[in-house]
Amino acid sequence: MLLSDIVIIIKCGLQTCLRRVITFRITEERVLTLAFCDMKPVSVTDAQGSTTYIIGNVIAIYRAETASPLVYSWDMVKSVAISRRDFKIVAGNNTIVIPYRLFGSDETVLKAITIIECHQKEYDFTYQHEKRMLPLKSMYVECAPGRETYIGEGVFDEGETAAAFIALLNFKLIKFLWLIAILIMLVTLGVIQLNWGITRDKVLYYIPISIAIGGIVSLLVYIIAHAVARARFKSKCNADLASRQPITFVISRVGFAVCESCVYESRDLIPWGEIDYFVESDKMFILYKNNSVVAYIPKKAFNKKHVGGVADILALSAEQR
Amino acid sequence: MAVEIKTETIEYHGRSTMLVSVKNGEAAIGICSAGYNGLGGANAINKIFFIGNDPIVNIVCPARGNNQSDKMLAVAPGFVGYDQKINAVINGCFDKLNGGEALTTGMRDIFNMLQDGVYAVYLSDYYPTDGNSSFFWGAYNILHDVHGTAEHGRVVGQRTFKPCFLIPSQPLDYYAPKTKVNTDDLVKRRKIQGIVYHLSGFHSVVLKGHHGAVCCVDNEVPFTCAVIEKICEPYTKKFVPPQPAAAPVPDIDPDNPEAAPSEEAAAAPPPVSVPIAVPEGITGFRCASLKLPLDVFPKDMLRMLIEERAEYKPRQFDILIAKLNTVRKKALSNNVLPFSVLEKTDTLPDCDMVESAYAIDGLSDEQLDHLLAGDVECNGEIIISPNFYSSIVTACNYLQFTDMKRFVDFSIAILDNPELSATHEYVAHRALSQISNKKLGAFFAGVVSSRDAKYEKIMTVAQTFMERSKNR
Repeated sequence: MLLSDIVIIIKCGLQTCLRRVITFRITEERVLTLAFCDMKPVSVTDAQGSTTYIIGNVIAIYRAETASPLVYSWDMVKSVAISRRDFKIVAGNNTIVIPYRLFGSDETVLKAITIIECHQKEYDFTYQHEKRMLPLKSMYVECAPGRETYIGEGVFDEGETAAAFIALLNFKLIKFLWLIAILIMLVTLGVIQLNWGITRDKVLYYIPISIAIGGIVSLLVYIIAHAVARARFKSKCNADLASRQPITFVISRVGFAVCESCVYESRDLIPWGEIDYFVESDKMFILYKNNSVVAYIPKKAFNKKHVGGVADILALSAEQR
Repeated sequence: MAVEIKTETIEYHGRSTMLVSVKNGEAAIGICSAGYNGLGGANAINKIFFIGNDPIVNIVCPARGNNQSDKMLAVAPGFVGYDQKINAVINGCFDKLNGGEALTTGMRDIFNMLQDGVYAVYLSDYYPTDGNSSFFWGAYNILHDVHGTAEHGRVVGQRTFKPCFLIPSQPLDYYAPKTKVNTDDLVKRRKIQGIVYHLSGFHSVVLKGHHGAVCCVDNEVPFTCAVIEKICEPYTKKFVPPQPAAAPVPDIDPDNPEAAPSEEAAAAPPPVSVPIAVPEGITGFRCASLKLPLDVFPKDMLRMLIEERAEYKPRQFDILIAKLNTVRKKALSNNVLPFSVLEKTDTLPDCDMVESAYAIDGLSDEQLDHLLAGDVECNGEIIISPNFYSSIVTACNYLQFTDMKRFVDFSIAILDNPELSATHEYVAHRALSQISNKKLGAFFAGVVSSRDAKYEKIMTVAQTFMERSKNR
């Protein structure tokens, strides 16, 4: 090979590397326009009627004993933790705990969570939350969805979503189960050989016995894995109030939305750049980022004749696996 | 639901302020978010100022809407004027104000058309420019960065200031020389020349008074406007902990300075810093011209401020967005503003001057001498800024706004000092607007005739100055 050829190869390699770096930078530039900016502040009062909490453009606490409210702007908020029972907001030198029961309805809690997540995007405070079925509101941007937009609505069918979840698990487990079956079979054969010795007249019994034991163990692993997956899925459902709420599903060329109908505003979308790939099962589209599920989109939420269009947009906007 | 308007006049720091709260407002006049549409880059936030069903001004807030960044503004491309009914209501209010009615009653119909929230309403003089020495009408045809539109510009910082520059709500095609002739006499008799809605930073949108502004500049009458300014921004007063009392200086024996201090002094307790409770939470709410602590607000208005959104989309939002993308095919007419008006606009203060005036409390002759000597400090205190050139620029702008005589003397002193040559070009350009000033005229004439190398940077400006003064 000539020296000039080597130089050309090195140059091409460098150019490719540079192109990769540049592409990476472009994709890293996130669109930061705020979404859900029209949400009305949420106001809750405790059972005694002595303290009122308002979460909106600011966080305010009205106490009966003080004339002036205590008001925090979002830049004073250090952290927010949302558990299954309450909100814990650390602002200034104060920790504000607002139990869910004060909110009266799940819709109000979801509105408050939406306001908090949108401000988290802007002010970047520490945010801890329970397991989620739906994407975080901080992923959304406000933009026009465009003409080719499919909108659907529905409540998550737990059985259906769990089935899709398990179908995906099967897909991942299947190679692993074969490996377990073969290994167990070999181990069983080894144990038989050590204890009783494999002779020519008994080999026809021992091999089927080993295969059967390998199969049974794999089946047990499969059943246990399913039980664990289902339990995990159920706990995820129970942890997220949204799993019991009507959900709006929007698929457009610009982005998608999977959001509680009670908080959704028509122009809030997650850009396609926020997901890595999607998987299609017979009943759902499941969207992934960093190998974890971002959103479940059931096909039945859309009009039957629109499912093809939805699939087309997904296929054009993200990688299918 | 019927619109609920409440007005209250409050006294704070010896200044009376009129506050207006609007509940269930028609939201026919206001600002709302327009979402991401690619304008201004990925991190820009887009907003629109609207009147009725018409988007009037496109506002692009770069850097995630950072309040220290100037906004990019342009009149909406498809805009041909707003609803005649709203125009009639605004005209009615304007007539009432000039008929002697108070701001609260005279502008009630306009308050009905605002978005929900709390507003400050007051009278203030405006300069009918865009803040960059262009007459405001026709200065916003192209989307561009408008200096002075940042909520908290870097010069003014967190201080309050009176907005004083304008943005039109009518295209320039609406200018009619006939109306101007009719308005020329009226402006001399009117108490209030216009009604404006504060948009951002030093800039407000003219709801009424476009022709009045032309006539005011032409006749050198102050353009006094009734201003509507929304209060919604929380602010926190910076708490400066008081210095603990200094320990008493022990008596030192002059004959034996290294000897231990007296027993009494040694026994004295060390200074104790008393813990002081720092107030929790924000101090109050503010707009550009006002900062009001929480306890100054009437209770119901404060509750409203907390429970309301800073801005929200009106019912007609979809119409606004649809109209935003339309482009007007041609101009309605080819009107041009009178040359005398454009010429006089040059002499009005610009944004740099006004900003400097709000940023500095005062400049003594001693401080100016220190600046001329190249110091940024006077008597151990920073005069304006630790940056020398920034200090010179701000001082120049401040003097030009407040005291023309001192500005001329200061400018000439700078231009004569070759050690300050880095600031020569800027200062000379600032001085260029004072064509009628004889002292500056004599100085620039000297510059042109001397051809001294130290004036190299200002030679062109000096020649321009001389040419312009000849043509006057």
